[in-house]
Amino acid sequence: MTGIYDFVPVIALLPLVSFVVALFAGKYLPKKGALAGIAATGGSLVLSLVVALTVATGKTAGYNETLYTFLEAKGAAPFSLELGVLVDPLSALMLVIVSLISFLVHVFSLGYMNDEGETGLPRYYAGLGLFSFSMLAFVFASNILMAFMFFELVGLCSYLLIGFWFREAGPPSAAKKAFLVTRFGDYFFLVGVVAIFATFGTGAFAGSESFPHLAEQALHGEHAVNTFLGLGEQAWFTVIGLLVLGGVMGKSAQFPFHTWLPDAMEGPTPVSALIHAATMVAAGVFLVARMYGFYALSPTALGVIAFVGGFTALFAATMGIVKQELKQVLAYSTISQYGYMMLALGGGGYVAAVFHLTTHAVFKALLFLGAGSVIIAMHHNENMWDMGGLKDRMPVTYWTFLAGSLALAGIFPFAGFWSKDEVLYETLIHGLGESPLLLGGYAMGLLAVAFTGFYTFRMVFLTFHGKPRTEVAEDPEPVRWNVKGPLVALGVLATTLGAINMVPIKKLTGAHIDYLHQFLDAGPEAFLTNVHHYGELLENPAFAGYGAADIGTSGLLISAGLSLGLALAGAGLAYRLYNVPEPVEHTDRLGRVKTLLMHNYYQDEFQVWLATGLTVPLANVANTFDQGIIDGVVDGISSASRLAGRGVRRIQTGVVRNYAALLTLGLVLLVAFFGVTGGWF
Amino acid sequence: MIETQWYLLLSAAVFSIGLFGILVRDNALLYLMSVELMLNAANINLVAFSLQHGNLTGQVFALFGMALAAAEVAIGLGIILVLYRNFETIDVTVPTTMRW
Repeated sequence: MTGIYDFVPVIALLPLVSFVVALFAGKYLPKKGALAGIAATGGSLVLSLVVALTVATGKTAGYNETLYTFLEAKGAAPFSLELGVLVDPLSALMLVIVSLISFLVHVFSLGYMNDEGETGLPRYYAGLGLFSFSMLAFVFASNILMAFMFFELVGLCSYLLIGFWFREAGPPSAAKKAFLVTRFGDYFFLVGVVAIFATFGTGAFAGSESFPHLAEQALHGEHAVNTFLGLGEQAWFTVIGLLVLGGVMGKSAQFPFHTWLPDAMEGPTPVSALIHAATMVAAGVFLVARMYGFYALSPTALGVIAFVGGFTALFAATMGIVKQELKQVLAYSTISQYGYMMLALGGGGYVAAVFHLTTHAVFKALLFLGAGSVIIAMHHNENMWDMGGLKDRMPVTYWTFLAGSLALAGIFPFAGFWSKDEVLYETLIHGLGESPLLLGGYAMGLLAVAFTGFYTFRMVFLTFHGKPRTEVAEDPEPVRWNVKGPLVALGVLATTLGAINMVPIKKLTGAHIDYLHQFLDAGPEAFLTNVHHYGELLENPAFAGYGAADIGTSGLLISAGLSLGLALAGAGLAYRLYNVPEPVEHTDRLGRVKTLLMHNYYQDEFQVWLATGLTVPLANVANTFDQGIIDGVVDGISSASRLAGRGVRRIQTGVVRNYAALLTLGLVLLVAFFGVTGGWF
Repeated sequence: MIETQWYLLLSAAVFSIGLFGILVRDNALLYLMSVELMLNAANINLVAFSLQHGNLTGQVFALFGMALAAAEVAIGLGIILVLYRNFETIDVTVPTTMRW
């Protein structure tokens, strides 16, 4: 009897129930299934909070059980495929985040969907329910196969929800794009899952029989594993890590798989909040954090993660500065912020990444819901150049949106400042320590801070400041409690959430207020998923070989001051340029660079070219080979038989005497044959 | 006691007569008779070897063969009757519709 942990599957099953209710009974219900969803995710939230509190304070800080085994292979290479529950501090924290955001998105949807008189609402709420279910089950998955299954379900749900308005031209195409691009990454993930099972015979995440620990023992020479392709153990583990990373990069929209995410803005805004803050996009980063014990063994994989992350952070931020639509700016900021998390993971800052994941979930959900509120007010016009002056007309939205923006830009003392600063700090000290290559990722991440500050405040000033530029902006449609409630809740969190892990303050004063660090380090030792275990792995020269440089208090302050200064510089530039009654598009001065940025570096065109210019001709060649050679052989055999048959059938005359004659002839020939061979003559 | 080879010679002669009938005659009734001749040639062989080896199995087999021949004649006559109804002739070279 383990008490509360027995109810962990219920956290995921409640939204599944709301999915069924909304799907089959939604049209008979007063709010078309919204209330079922709110009740279910509310229940999940309460249970998640209890689980998280139990993890933080209880005697047993974790739970790792198999619920159902659907295949068990015995013999020389035994393995079993199973569904299980793994609760440790990381998954407990993530359960709270996901169910919180999901709950608030459900409430917000009352205002965004029901009050706006949308049709097809049962389908919408069913999608939200299934989405929450998939993500929650993904979070507590105890092994990589189960994680993969729910990873795919999350992708399916995003397809269903992005394409919610399927009668218009844009959303179905965006939905397909999201599905295909993430599927492309998941293809590598699937190969990686198979490779993990083939190598270790298990996919478990935690415990002494888990694959990260087996890999660790294999590198110590204490345990033999199967490697393939003639690679050594470390090289092979790097290959596996990079294969799984393919799925991560697809889901978390890292370069070059980021192209689906801006298009996914075609979906309803609450869905965007859910996808980008807590569920789909977070799934990728969460997966790396989940199997961090494995990645920590391979310096190459970590280096790739850090570089992809740092590059994506900068790359996406540059595109964000020229966009005209509110949600597009937020989309590129999402890509950029997930780049930071990857940078932190690759740079050895596990806690920093989880911290940034947490704060980002809150402030990005806040910004998307705030954008949704603005979109309601603007009668679904998303162009920021048609807004302006909304500050006085919708104060609740303005102040909460401002809190989210300050957090996104990383301004002291909002949540984003603490987490982004820790990301950069961790990367810096490891870069200055033993792995100077990380400094490249750090430089890109640092530069992106300035861009983030600029585009964030350009967005705020264009939307809320200045004079109204259209009639709708003069008299926006008011929003109700169901929009304001979630905004206020998230606004308070975005302002204060940094307090859970104030590492710089701890380093300066010595007070133990890095609560998140302590929480993540408090899991059962046997799980081998604690922060200090990862730290030992990272610093072991046989594995990643990271070492932290001691840059002292002044280094800490310089690092924090540098990121804050750059953020303020970006924000200040935006303030100078756009906080005027009638702003003009200053980015036009960028000339051809702006064209390049507006076209997203022609990444979409490049991917379309990959499809039409490379894949289609290749497919045509394959088709020709199939039609010409393979089918040609088969067709040739059949036409030869038909031709021969047409000739030989002439002997079937229909005259019975001819048959008798042939029979006799055959008999004579047989007798003659046996006579000759048998030696009668 | 007659030597066995005489029986075999008789059998071969009867078989050849039957075969000749099948190969040259047109009349379906003569066809049937020729088939009977060939069947009985085989029976003669069976009985002859049965006699030579002092084993009754061959004779039993010959009896079965005769019963079979009787049944076969019934079917054969039926076929000839149908042939006549459809083609108003029992010339076996006329009906050539059962081919490709």
